[in-house]
Amino acid sequence: MRLNPGTTATARHLWAIVGLCVVVLAAAFAIRSEYDEGVLVLVLLWATLSVAWNLLSGYSGLFSFGHAAFWGLGAYTVALGLVNFGLTPWLGIPLAAVVGGCAGALIGYPTFRLRGHYFALAMLAYPLAMLYVFEWLGYQEVPLPMERTAPILYMQFDDKRAYVVLALALLVAALLVSLWVETTRFGRALMAIKQNEPAAEAAGIDTWRWKMRAIVLSGALAAMAGGLYAVVLLVVTPDSVFGMLVSSQPLILSLFGGIGSLWGPVIGATVLVPLAEVLNAQLGDKIPGIQGVVYGVAIIAIILWAPEGVYWRVREKVTRSGLAGSEPRPRSAPVMALPQPRSGQGDLLVLRGVGISFGGLRALDDVGLSVQDGSLHGIIGPNGAGKTTLFNVINGFLRPQSGSIAFAGTSLLGLMPNRVCRCGIGRTFQVVRAFARMTVVENVIVGAYIGARDDRVAEQMALAALDRVGIADRADSMAGGLTTRELRLMELARALVPQPRLLLLDETLAGLGHEDLDSILSVIRRLRDEGMTVLIIEHTMQAMVRLVDRFTVLDHGRVIASGAPAEVVRDRRVIEAYLGRRWTDRVSETAAGDI
Amino acid sequence: MKTALVAALGTAISTVALGLVPALAQTPAQPAKDVKVALIAPLSGPWARQGQLMQMGADMAIDEINQKGGIKALGGAKMKLVVADAGDTTEKAKNAAERLLSQEPDLIGGTGAWLSSFTLAVTEVTERAQLPWLTLSYSDAITDRGFKYVFQTSPTADHMAREMIPTVIKLAESAGAKRPQTMGIVMDNTAANVSYVKPMHEGWLDQYGLKLVVDQVYTPPLSDATPLIQKVRSARPDFLLLLSSNVPDDKMLLEKLDEFGLGTRKLPTIGSGTHMGTPELLKVTDAEMLEGLLTGASDWGLKGQEDIIARFRQRTGEPWINQDSITAYGDMWILKEAVERVGAADRVKIGDELHKIDITEGPAAVAYPGPVKFDDKGRRVDAPLIIVQWQKGQAVSVFPTDRALAKAFWPAQ
Repeated sequence: MRLNPGTTATARHLWAIVGLCVVVLAAAFAIRSEYDEGVLVLVLLWATLSVAWNLLSGYSGLFSFGHAAFWGLGAYTVALGLVNFGLTPWLGIPLAAVVGGCAGALIGYPTFRLRGHYFALAMLAYPLAMLYVFEWLGYQEVPLPMERTAPILYMQFDDKRAYVVLALALLVAALLVSLWVETTRFGRALMAIKQNEPAAEAAGIDTWRWKMRAIVLSGALAAMAGGLYAVVLLVVTPDSVFGMLVSSQPLILSLFGGIGSLWGPVIGATVLVPLAEVLNAQLGDKIPGIQGVVYGVAIIAIILWAPEGVYWRVREKVTRSGLAGSEPRPRSAPVMALPQPRSGQGDLLVLRGVGISFGGLRALDDVGLSVQDGSLHGIIGPNGAGKTTLFNVINGFLRPQSGSIAFAGTSLLGLMPNRVCRCGIGRTFQVVRAFARMTVVENVIVGAYIGARDDRVAEQMALAALDRVGIADRADSMAGGLTTRELRLMELARALVPQPRLLLLDETLAGLGHEDLDSILSVIRRLRDEGMTVLIIEHTMQAMVRLVDRFTVLDHGRVIASGAPAEVVRDRRVIEAYLGRRWTDRVSETAAGDI
Repeated sequence: MKTALVAALGTAISTVALGLVPALAQTPAQPAKDVKVALIAPLSGPWARQGQLMQMGADMAIDEINQKGGIKALGGAKMKLVVADAGDTTEKAKNAAERLLSQEPDLIGGTGAWLSSFTLAVTEVTERAQLPWLTLSYSDAITDRGFKYVFQTSPTADHMAREMIPTVIKLAESAGAKRPQTMGIVMDNTAANVSYVKPMHEGWLDQYGLKLVVDQVYTPPLSDATPLIQKVRSARPDFLLLLSSNVPDDKMLLEKLDEFGLGTRKLPTIGSGTHMGTPELLKVTDAEMLEGLLTGASDWGLKGQEDIIARFRQRTGEPWINQDSITAYGDMWILKEAVERVGAADRVKIGDELHKIDITEGPAAVAYPGPVKFDDKGRRVDAPLIIVQWQKGQAVSVFPTDRALAKAFWPAQ
């Protein structure tokens, strides 16, 4: 067994965090001016917010334009707690974390129904709404009172370095949480969501739950930083904590530094926050307003040089010069216990009267289907017949409007895809849904989290699955660099790794050359021989006739024929559906068997 | 005992020696060290214009002080203005203050930062550094924090609000109009305006027999004034408080009033804040539409300031002097006066002196209405509300009558 690659990387990151602490503390004690210390505190606070933002948006790809909501709630929790209840920020900041976490849950619950741009836009609305609410409540300006008797009890220090230490503590906390997320299944789940949410869901990842956890954590961290910001700034106004500038700050800093990486947000804050401040100081009183222009130009220039952010660009340069030529090592796959072949008795999957419409289109109409345990069952039909819709109904992407679906005797109706997956149904997609920026083995591990409690076990299961489909040697390659055949096999491995009883293969054979086709066919046959039940979609009949035990033919959402391959291909309705009425007539004239 | 004797003897001898050669000890070629004062104001962003107006006033005062021989108590030391941009956020304003204090450790005082939330943040820094800070910001909170080195030259928002209503009633009666019975409020929800109307919402209007018949709040920037003004038209108050906070909103509201036949000649309209008296407002509307519009301020061109106004107009090309410029001008003179009295560029002593100061003559005394004297909280004693009115395309002071440059008229027919 090789070492888990995560362990050394984690250790490196931990050392880097220690290094960060040393550098920041050294800087705090080296600089003599309160102003510079103040800027250092701001760097650390904005870095914390950016790390918190990255935890949700960087890893999961769900862009939040609204992290000011958490920041502002944190700031107001601390400020109002102190003003109204005399609550010291020492307790106010932890309370802010709780408020931020709850706000994350409340915001995430409705907003995660939305995807992509819609999610981003909805997030934009929260801080803006809060801004008006706090104005309406009369909290336009909340100054934090100066505590003269026991300042330290109220987190008020004469020595600004105390704030540096506090802000550093928050940043380290955010980095540690982030690192924990990145190196566990939490992070892999988020990355899978980022690259392909439906695929993640179909692979058994409970995407909604992981996203909720991420936003709660992210909100709590952002709110803590906002709370300390209030202590440092001493005056809280809705604009200064809920404003657009606050929401855009973590976005700009993370994009600049390198999105989806632990250190990107820190790099962004370290460069841009002091840069903006220096520009304000140097140019603000001479040519007012020019600082904004210079700042913008600087960001554009660096983004042109490093479109994915400084971190990724530098890493790319370093790995290219330092590790050039180091090919991914082939790994030996552990032997995996194969599932016991089951006797092909009875029906594993039974659909009755399933129907679904999209507007006026009847995509599935009264579809009945029985898939025998241990059989290789093919679904064929021309384009638009409803084949993929049928799969989507079975694995929970779509909910049928009528009918029933039973798997091994239990109903699947109303289950989320990840639950269906947990019942023992794996699937692949017509267009391969790979996580391109993850390695092959990582792609497959994503599927293993259902069965495996432990991340190491998950990795072993993934390697075994890769071995089973015959591409264990590609385990460490990036998924983006695979051939079509390898991608299909990788996806197959991902579907296999939770050891399902039923596999749904959606046009796994499409677009393959002869040799590739044969190699995949042999894999599928072997799976069936090992006891797996396979339901496969194709629209080319040729390959299917050689492969399957039983056919079901769909046309315009209806089952038009079902039976053994040899019977089905002679069926008049099937020929008509594929080739049109004229062909049916000719076929019946010649009574020919072959098509 | 012995050492003390030697030291005393030494001191005596050196004193005598120095007394003999005073000319050598203070060579005329070596100029006295500059006395540095600060201005923190928004010079970029949405409030940049106000910051520029402040800088114009402060620059003029500094030039005059230096032309007249600088600070006499310090051997003619020159006064020097250091400027920092407060930008458009509280964070930037506070950073500007911290930066100034780091880079200019020998500052003796300053003024700023225009917007009250900026001032709140800036004074948190200056107070800790014991730097005397003057401000024209209205917010009561600024001088409610028990700070020792913050001095508010404007009447506070609360005070201005309480002054405004009786003054308006007096104005109407003295103009021969009937005493107003009803009033309306159209306002945005910015900090200054919210605290301005707070007492009015708490039953304070009853003592004047006034009824609030329309009360509308919007969030700036305003996109459409129609629904607001429709409400005003149906309620028909005797006068209207129009509390916006920027020129574009002013324009939209005034044009809509005009369009609904509620122009300032029909419905007396009272604004608040200096933006309602800026030349920019005239540029985007017209003199006829503005005629009679009233607004409140803490300072404006007044009787006794004629020379200052003339010099200011000549220097800057501005058509008249407003609160921001005249206050910044006066603040520089107050600081100068304090340094003269203390006789040292020592910020703590200057701060203490400002609590005792009572300036009755010179530019500092002329620059403000009312005495130049601060109470324990740092508020200027008896600072009155100034009312400004648009008359023939000029925003002129009309109240208090003893210092106002023009006579007010009540616009209602």
